[in-house]
Amino acid sequence: MAFPMSFWDIGLWISVITIVLLITLELTTPYSGQVNLAIERRRLRQVALILTIIFMLTVAIRIYEILTKA
Amino acid sequence: MSEDSESNVRLLVERVQRLEEENEKLRLELWRLKRKPSRVVGYMLLLLGALSLILSTSFSSLTFAFIGLGLTFWGALLLYIRPVRYVKQILLDSTVISTLTAIDRVLTELKYEGKAVYLPPRYLREVRGGTVFIPFEGANVVPPVEEVSEERVFLRNPNGICLTPPGLGLVNMYEEELGVVFARVDLNYLVNNLPRLFVEGLEAAENLEFDVENGVVRVKLAGSVYVSLCREAVNLSKVCRSIGCPLCSSIACALARASGKPVVIEKCVFSEDGRTIEACYRILKE
Repeated sequence: MAFPMSFWDIGLWISVITIVLLITLELTTPYSGQVNLAIERRRLRQVALILTIIFMLTVAIRIYEILTKA
Repeated sequence: MSEDSESNVRLLVERVQRLEEENEKLRLELWRLKRKPSRVVGYMLLLLGALSLILSTSFSSLTFAFIGLGLTFWGALLLYIRPVRYVKQILLDSTVISTLTAIDRVLTELKYEGKAVYLPPRYLREVRGGTVFIPFEGANVVPPVEEVSEERVFLRNPNGICLTPPGLGLVNMYEEELGVVFARVDLNYLVNNLPRLFVEGLEAAENLEFDVENGVVRVKLAGSVYVSLCREAVNLSKVCRSIGCPLCSSIACALARASGKPVVIEKCVFSEDGRTIEACYRILKE
């Protein structure tokens, strides 16, 4: 009865989700003609940026690990 | 014979009642379908995701874990990015158009033929206030400050009427969003910041362009959410050609505040595809 995902699995999942969210954010921008979307774009941007920061943190941890092992 | 006709009438009445009931049911069904089901979908995704996460822990399955995380995340996100409350555009347009029609009818009835002049804040008691002066006849007629400051609706010298512009609420909202008072900034500030506010802040248009030249300001607004309202306002000659629709009026108010001079809407036209509004404003010299 253990959660089967490791830290790196979750890191990978976050990276995919972050890319999807950032692309969605770009495609829903009013500059591309999407002015009638009934969503809170500010909140979407918030989530995308927070996930980006988390993803960058996982990358930093990975780099730190590689450097300390070497 | 009369019994036959009576039974026919009864049958027809029953049929009409049945059809009315059916009509009511169909209307309710249509409203239900028109409603956005994002909330239900959000909760369903959350539920399925949680179930999948529990299964992944029970069976130690990585696949279930990925599916569970994904579903939970998208469910939560869908609930989080839903707008708190949104108003359908048709409702907004219907609310505003009746007010504009009333203004148009009053001006037509009183035979005011002059071109509306948006007055700058120094004519007014409040910086956030606004007045549009419509002379009885003629163009570019600016009343003296003393006449306007008395806050009367009908002026005698020059003969005209002072109204609250339809875009006053909008321009005050622009100021709140940008955190400035337009009376304390210059035209350059408007040229640089209003497009960003319209497109990114309010998401009211796809693009907004300003072109200032020799006291004439050309504004090009593409993909505006007010297009249908403007199209309806075109039929109201006194409103569209003189005072302007709420959007054009709000820009005129902003220009009058920032320039500190009276402003006139010279023209307001649609592009051929009906998606772009081009308005031309003149800043009057005193």
